[in-house]
Amino acid sequence: MADHFLHVADRAAEALDPAAALEFVSDPGFGGVAMFVGRVRDLNQGRDVAGISYDLYQPLALARFAEIAEQAKREVGPRLRLYIAHAKGRLAVGELAVVIAAGTPHRDEAFRACRLAIEAVKHTTPIWKQEHYVDGDSEWTAGCSLCDAPVAQASPVHDHAHDPDHPQH
Amino acid sequence: MDVELELFGTLRGLEPGDRLRVPVAGGTVADLRAALATHAAARWPRVTPGLLGSCAFATPAAVLRDGEPLPVDGRMAVLPPVSGG
Repeated sequence: MADHFLHVADRAAEALDPAAALEFVSDPGFGGVAMFVGRVRDLNQGRDVAGISYDLYQPLALARFAEIAEQAKREVGPRLRLYIAHAKGRLAVGELAVVIAAGTPHRDEAFRACRLAIEAVKHTTPIWKQEHYVDGDSEWTAGCSLCDAPVAQASPVHDHAHDPDHPQH
Repeated sequence: MDVELELFGTLRGLEPGDRLRVPVAGGTVADLRAALATHAAARWPRVTPGLLGSCAFATPAAVLRDGEPLPVDGRMAVLPPVSGG
């Protein structure tokens, strides 16, 4: 059985499933499981958000997820099960945008793998979000350029200036 | 060669079907970048040179750097700065 599960969930057909993520990363030898769930928040930079549309370049996003899984394994060791799923399409406030789960023998590796994966998904994967505001306006949000570093070696946690108030999680 | 580009994120809506074909004089991603800049200057008034400069070019398998050769099938995606999660 593969030790990672990588998925893009079209919201029109399905919602993300944290229970399935926990089940996938579970193993009798794994005492630590960490999970990150990103949800659509109702406010961004003072504007009332009604929802978010996620756009993906799906083949490359899935290729990136596979590279992220390999990178996590290099960081925390081979005893890792990793689940990465991201939503596509229009989501309402409160709906799940991303689910990451990591299972490892001990908690430290699980936390580290989970953190590495969510940061890499946010900063180095071809995914874009368009915020829809309650007032009827919509905007694509600013993001991280993929020109800045070779994607395969991009650091998942970096320190460039960011919108301090992402519209979710 | 002609390169067929697929547009994503903030570039959606600029071309019918979010695709366009641009003639490229040269064989590298840098040549494609220059060709798209020419197209954008003429046709995409709301796209700034700064935004275009921060866009990456990719195949389904990888982001390609400016010095790399264009893929033989002539199909690429234009990726504006990303904001997943």
